[in-house]
Amino acid sequence: MKRAAVRASSRKLAPRASPGSGGDAAIRAYHVSKSYTAGSFALHDVSLEVGRGEFVFLTGPSGAGKTTLLKLLFAAEQQSEGQIVVLGRNIARLGERAVPELRRRVGVVFQDFKLLPRRTVEENVGMALDVVGTPRREARAKVFAVLKQLGLQHRRHHHPLALSGGEQQRVAIARALVNEPQILLADEPTGNLDPELTVEIMDLIASAATRGTTVLVATHELGLVSRYGKRTLRLEAGRVVEDSRPRGVVR
Amino acid sequence: MKRVAARVVYFGRTALRGLVASPVTSVVAVATIGTSLVLVGAFALLLFNMEGLLERFGGNLHVTAYLEVGLAQERQRELAATARTVEGVAEVRLVTEAEALERFRTGVARGAAFLEGLDENPLPASLEITLVPERQSAEGMRIATASLQGLAGVDDLASGQDWVEGYLRAVALVRGLGLGIGVILVLATLLIVANTIRLAVVARSDELEILALVGASRGFVSVPFLLEGLLQGLAGGLLALLLLFGLFHLVLPGLAFGLELLLGGAVPAFFSTGQALALVIGGALLGVIGSGAALLGGLRA
Ligand SMILES: Nc1ncnc2c1ncn2[C@@H]1O[C@H](COP(=O)(O)OP(=O)(O)OP(=O)(O)O)[C@@H](O)[C@H]1O
Ligand SMILES: [Mg+2]
Repeated sequence: MKRAAVRASSRKLAPRASPGSGGDAAIRAYHVSKSYTAGSFALHDVSLEVGRGEFVFLTGPSGAGKTTLLKLLFAAEQQSEGQIVVLGRNIARLGERAVPELRRRVGVVFQDFKLLPRRTVEENVGMALDVVGTPRREARAKVFAVLKQLGLQHRRHHHPLALSGGEQQRVAIARALVNEPQILLADEPTGNLDPELTVEIMDLIASAATRGTTVLVATHELGLVSRYGKRTLRLEAGRVVEDSRPRGVVR
Repeated sequence: MKRVAARVVYFGRTALRGLVASPVTSVVAVATIGTSLVLVGAFALLLFNMEGLLERFGGNLHVTAYLEVGLAQERQRELAATARTVEGVAEVRLVTEAEALERFRTGVARGAAFLEGLDENPLPASLEITLVPERQSAEGMRIATASLQGLAGVDDLASGQDWVEGYLRAVALVRGLGLGIGVILVLATLLIVANTIRLAVVARSDELEILALVGASRGFVSVPFLLEGLLQGLAGGLLALLLLFGLFHLVLPGLAFGLELLLGGAVPAFFSTGQALALVIGGALLGVIGSGAALLGGLRA
């Protein structure tokens, strides 16, 4: 208790998210900029820190840079300036071998699911385990467990196109979670779904955070954000314009 | 260990899935590899047989020095002794007039009848000269004959030199032609295999994107494509071997005349086991190198 208080106060003094601070942070960005074309910035001087096990919404209007920020975090793009440390690794300095290793510890979910239509649900989820060479028997058990957790175990031999949108997104979430990643990134995961399904999917994603996974969800559905009352980072034109932590919760 | 096994199973399954997913392109690739290997293999077969022939006859190459008529036996023996001292000569055998006649009578079926009406022996004495192994070539023979030519008492020299030279030229021609055609065919085949794999990469781009997202390394993604190329190459190589074997046994008898010219009536031989294996491995290499080239060209997912 005492420790937490000290930490909270020291955080006020130190510049937020400077390298070296918050050793237990899952994600730290320090003056990060990204420009795809010379002269215009998709991200501009962004500094932020996300602690392990934290759940954070990323909001902002279209073109604000939400997708860009997520892409930097799983090394799908490289920042133009600044430093990013994910799970203790400086991702600008990751070699060709280290990128896949990072991605095995970071699950990603997209608006368009990205499932293979000719593979069964079980095979789609299993791809994340194929990559790490999980033995077949163990892989089956893991896939079954994660599908059960998402309420999809009875669908494991179906093909994605035979499933509803919500079910398809659950398959994608299962694939992102089956390797027990330390971070889960979701880019508009409910963008293609009906409102009822939206809540259902978001609940599943939030529950990952309660099990210790750091979760970052990009969305522009503000109603959703207020419903969960979680920390929210608001981007506008590539800058963080607001970092609101729910009142009464001091981490 | 279990992880390695899981990987191997995954690679095999993915490669097979790739082959089955686009059967037409796979068959075209196998047929292409097979066809070019049949052509290259046919040239190799011809070349091996011609070279084999040369080797077999090479060991029997003699120079025959016909002696002037009327030399005394003693002088003939002296000449034989002198010939033995010529560099490159391994062995000299004197064949006297009488022996030559005897040989002619018994050796040639019609020889006896031919000689009926003759009172005198028309055949000269000769020296049968065998060269040391290092000299049993057109060049070696040329040197030896030049030295022997100068011996007093030698009337004429006969050797297989002209024949050997002509044959060596033919072998060189076949080798050059085969090499040239082989290089062109190999390059064309590599291009076609590379293109097949490129198509497979494009067809699987969605899968590759997802694999990259879940943390697949470049190597992990590449192996199934290399394996796919390898399987196509193996199939092409086996197909070529089968076709060559069929052609060898079905078509060759019909080409007896042409073969007679090239091989002088020697019985043509098929590939040895090692050579057959090399053909199949060659196919596999074509497949792997072709798909490797395709992957170097672009696995940017
Ligand atoms: N690959 C790219 N090449 C060039 N410009 C890009 C690229 N990706 C994004 N941008 C630009 O960067 C800016 C931020 O885009 P980004 O996709 O990160 O926004 P976003 O917040 O995810 O928007 P949305 O809510 O519409 O998904 C935009 O101006 C966009 O046009
Ligand atoms: Mg976006």
